[in-house]
Amino acid sequence: MNDHADLTVADIEVLAGLAALPLPDGRAQVIREPLAAWVRDANELSRKMSQKEYLDLMPATIFHHNAI
Amino acid sequence: MSSAQSELTDLSVGRASKLIARKEISPVELVDACLARAEAVNPTINAFIDIYHDQARAVARAAETMIQAGHWLGPLHGIPLGLKDIIGLKGQITTAGSKVMADWVPSQDATVAERLRRHGAIFLGKTNMHEFAWGGTSDNPHYGPVRNPWNPDRFPAGSSGGSGAAVAARACTAALGTDTGGSVRLPSAINGIVGLRPTIGRVSNFGVVPLAWSMDTVGPMARTVEDCALLFNAMAGHDPKDGGSLLEPVPDYTADLNKEVRGLRIGVVPGYFFHHLQPPVRDAVKAALSTFEGLGAHVFEVDIENIHGNISAQLTVESTEPSAYHQKWLRERPQDYGADVRTQLEMGELLLATHYIQAQRYRTLLRREFMEAFKSVDVFICPTLPFTATRVGEMKVVIENGEEEDMLSAIMQFTGVPSLTGLPSLNVPCGYDHEGLPVGMQIIGRPFDEATLFRMGAAFQTATDFHERAPKL
Repeated sequence: MNDHADLTVADIEVLAGLAALPLPDGRAQVIREPLAAWVRDANELSRKMSQKEYLDLMPATIFHHNAI
Repeated sequence: MSSAQSELTDLSVGRASKLIARKEISPVELVDACLARAEAVNPTINAFIDIYHDQARAVARAAETMIQAGHWLGPLHGIPLGLKDIIGLKGQITTAGSKVMADWVPSQDATVAERLRRHGAIFLGKTNMHEFAWGGTSDNPHYGPVRNPWNPDRFPAGSSGGSGAAVAARACTAALGTDTGGSVRLPSAINGIVGLRPTIGRVSNFGVVPLAWSMDTVGPMARTVEDCALLFNAMAGHDPKDGGSLLEPVPDYTADLNKEVRGLRIGVVPGYFFHHLQPPVRDAVKAALSTFEGLGAHVFEVDIENIHGNISAQLTVESTEPSAYHQKWLRERPQDYGADVRTQLEMGELLLATHYIQAQRYRTLLRREFMEAFKSVDVFICPTLPFTATRVGEMKVVIENGEEEDMLSAIMQFTGVPSLTGLPSLNVPCGYDHEGLPVGMQIIGRPFDEATLFRMGAAFQTATDFHERAPKL
């Protein structure tokens, strides 16, 4: 998968194989275009969050025992 | 329906509860009127998956007996409510709008349902919804599409579309929805009613089928702000059965409803809140800001530096968490999901763990920026969504320049922000487009400050009459 998420059906089949997700005939083609858009935007967000000024930020899902 | 019954179905929770307490109307009359209305409109708007005729009447008779005996449980005593069919009720099929769970009968009530029962509310039936709440149209492949009472060719938004349509159509006095990325606020805006997404952790999710655990919450939907506050008084509070529930004190949410808004500070985010909108939506929300200024509030531009990117974070979290919940079913019975939900669940499996973690880190960043901004403003106000009701079945929407956009991304342009940050937000009707379709504004507040949202919403409804219009159905 390249950085701009020009996802191919073959890329999706590899990813689905890693997830042990069966994708019957045609399913990879159905999800190719919308997934490519999501991955493109998610990669852009990942680049932002990898910048030095954000390295102290923790995920919103960690436990806070005494705070909101 | 008789005109007397129409008058009953038009009653707000606040007004009906006063009449019930004074024994001027009975819960039986009110429930009968709502059942008759639900039967009359459901063939057109398909808002209910199930209507509990016999049970609702039996409970109404019991409620009336208690009042006659001098035992009034409070403002929700005898009030008929719709319940989104994702909220478990003991002994009643709870489908989550799906074929996969079509036969699920919970062994106990969801905590919110149990609390409302304890306050005397009567469940009229289960409302239709987007399958598993994973979408914003309520175009349900298993139970049929919900339709908008303002124009049945148009969608009711979602995922709590049945609750929104039923309340607007006067088929129940109020309802509950659930909200992950906007599923209370969107159908509230599109159907011209009030709906609250509470602070995350304020209301128990126990007994509610999850969509995305880190953003799910239950919220009230009604025709007035006061009604939402009355419901919220019963719903809010800690629940030891929900690990995400918080121990914050619960105030009386009706206490500040008549307090003026003079001096309150409203933030708007330049370059985002009034960008990429259909003109009637922009005009209505800007007019609402002017109304607040006329009431003595002040509007300030406040920059949220990293607000762009929120839709991607929203989609990443909202897609990957459901894909984890549905992992087994998606492998064993994929054919039992509707086309859009199946596609989204498959896509959610293929995003990377780093995408999810970076989205969760972005949530921390966005929340930090909003919390900083709340040092200089009391609330933010923006449109709830950038367009008015589209046609039933459409998966694309045109917002500007004639360009078609993906519905799922477009519909969460503004509602994703409170979902990601865990902040409370309230939809309040604030206008209509040239076709008479409702427009809503979203008031976003500090954590656990729902009272200020209700205060502002109530002041707006006192100053305007948008909430008094009813669809001609």
